[in-house]
Amino acid sequence: MPDDLEPAGPVKGRSISRRQFALRAAMASAATSLAPGSLLNAAASPAPIPQQPAGSPALSPESQAEVEARVQSILGRYGSRFSDEQKSEIRRLSAALQAPLESVRAYPLNNAASPALYLKPLVEREKRPAPPQPAAKHKS
Amino acid sequence: MLGEEILYLPLSELARRIESKKLSPVELTESYLERSRKFGPALNAYALLTPEIALEQAHKAEKEIRGGHYRGSLHGMPFAAKDLLAVKGLPTTWGAQPYASQVFDCDSAVITNLKRAGAVMLGKSAMIELAGGSSYRFASASLTGAAKNPWNTSCWTCGSSSGSGAIMAAGLAAFTLGSETWGSILCPAAFCGVSGLRPTYGRVSRFGAMALAYSMDKIGPLCRTAEDCARVFAVIAGHDLRDRATLPLDKAAFTYSPATERRPPSRIGLLSNAWKSLPPEIAALLANARKILRRSFPFIGSAALPTGPFEDAATLIMNAECASAFADLLRSGAAAQLADPLEQLSVYVSETIPASDYVSALRIREQLQYKMEELFDSFDILVTVSQPVTASKLDLNLETGLSFPDPLGAIGNLCGLPAISVPCGFAPDGLPVGLQFVGRAGNDLGVIQAARAYQKYTNWHKKHPQLR
Repeated sequence: MPDDLEPAGPVKGRSISRRQFALRAAMASAATSLAPGSLLNAAASPAPIPQQPAGSPALSPESQAEVEARVQSILGRYGSRFSDEQKSEIRRLSAALQAPLESVRAYPLNNAASPALYLKPLVEREKRPAPPQPAAKHKS
Repeated sequence: MLGEEILYLPLSELARRIESKKLSPVELTESYLERSRKFGPALNAYALLTPEIALEQAHKAEKEIRGGHYRGSLHGMPFAAKDLLAVKGLPTTWGAQPYASQVFDCDSAVITNLKRAGAVMLGKSAMIELAGGSSYRFASASLTGAAKNPWNTSCWTCGSSSGSGAIMAAGLAAFTLGSETWGSILCPAAFCGVSGLRPTYGRVSRFGAMALAYSMDKIGPLCRTAEDCARVFAVIAGHDLRDRATLPLDKAAFTYSPATERRPPSRIGLLSNAWKSLPPEIAALLANARKILRRSFPFIGSAALPTGPFEDAATLIMNAECASAFADLLRSGAAAQLADPLEQLSVYVSETIPASDYVSALRIREQLQYKMEELFDSFDILVTVSQPVTASKLDLNLETGLSFPDPLGAIGNLCGLPAISVPCGFAPDGLPVGLQFVGRAGNDLGVIQAARAYQKYTNWHKKHPQLR
């Protein structure tokens, strides 16, 4: 069994890779939307990950697992509303969401980088010295 | 009835005539109403015409002006408001079937401000349902059908302020209000050959406006000229306790008269990486615009947007906030009533965006805000074309056919930057092309001044389609 597909759960004394973490987080997320019976089944024998629809971006196994968890989360809550065609579309849209998620996750942010909840530069600008006046700069 | 030569005049000129009592607000209103009845339905431009309200307001304005009480440049001025702005007692549909019978018992803040200024409401302009929600596939994603472009009715006006763009291009009102979360003012302005201002985030209260993405939504005007945009913006801008995202009093308020333009921006940065590529005909228009800008601005240099996952961050923020804003549609299943097949489903997927990734996107946004502050230390205004294409066909699959990288749209809307689009020429297909001016957060006057300087040397904003 590939390392990435080991059963989820903390293993004392072992660190987990970012890839493993992503997969586990995805599986945990999916579990919240599964009925208890299916959850037991999933724990005993992980369900195969369905093929992505044609034209979907190529995804790593971890990303594909996250996509599938997303699909199951939606179908678990609202599945009875959708036709097969719509379910397929949800799978395609779920796969398309993976690229922006991974791109944002890959961006380096240190702990001090806080979320932008307002126009901080605009509000803080008055605390900084004003930049050189452009009109004066170009006067002959 | 007044002719096209009057109805296509800039608001500033109409105001001058109204103030001097050479133009009757009632006659102007009746003329726009007649023209709206004649052309509006074929263009799917209006969600609702309100002739009784318009005429009542016009008569009141005329009486006041005749009595010597002139309130300012919007007094007696007919306009249409995007149908996501609440007007007390009228349907406010948000362009969507699930809200088709929605009626609010109060006016939105911008409507209150316009009433106070004596403006005359002709009706509610059509829009893309839920201002586009998480995503949509077709121009027909609206309760009122696809808005048709007056320059070529087989083409779209762009969204989501689709009716506002159509109304302006067709000469059905003196100005309109739109809103932008990502592209919904600048794109209709560009596709329709009119001037559209996206104000700094937080300068215009969204009280009473439909929320799509709380941290990105802005309300702004579509007009004939940059100066007209300034005049409308001066009325609708300001701090509002009811919208906690509005800036403090001194930073939200905007006053305008041409006399306030004391020190125009001087350092223009032509963006080198706003678009992956430009078709030769649009690149030629941009090159021509650069020559014209040289007459007004002593320094024009090449500027580059910061690179990073900013479109992705904007996508996650917008979609996550949209999923929360329309959680009721998910819970109830009413999303199925939306017109667009993609919009029916995309919000379900948006609901699964993890909270930690949403917060990470907000953290990236702050990094980006400071990067843009640095860029604006070197340039007052950034310039490029508003769109790398002209108006798309009505039946185009927008998901595949109008999909291209838009880092400036993402950055501008993530950072809440002011921007204006004004016409800069026509492509060989006869459709207008827009020129975009973007400024530092808070520098709305700068983008207006830059666009106004450009319009002093051009006549593209005076062109209008011939409707039959």
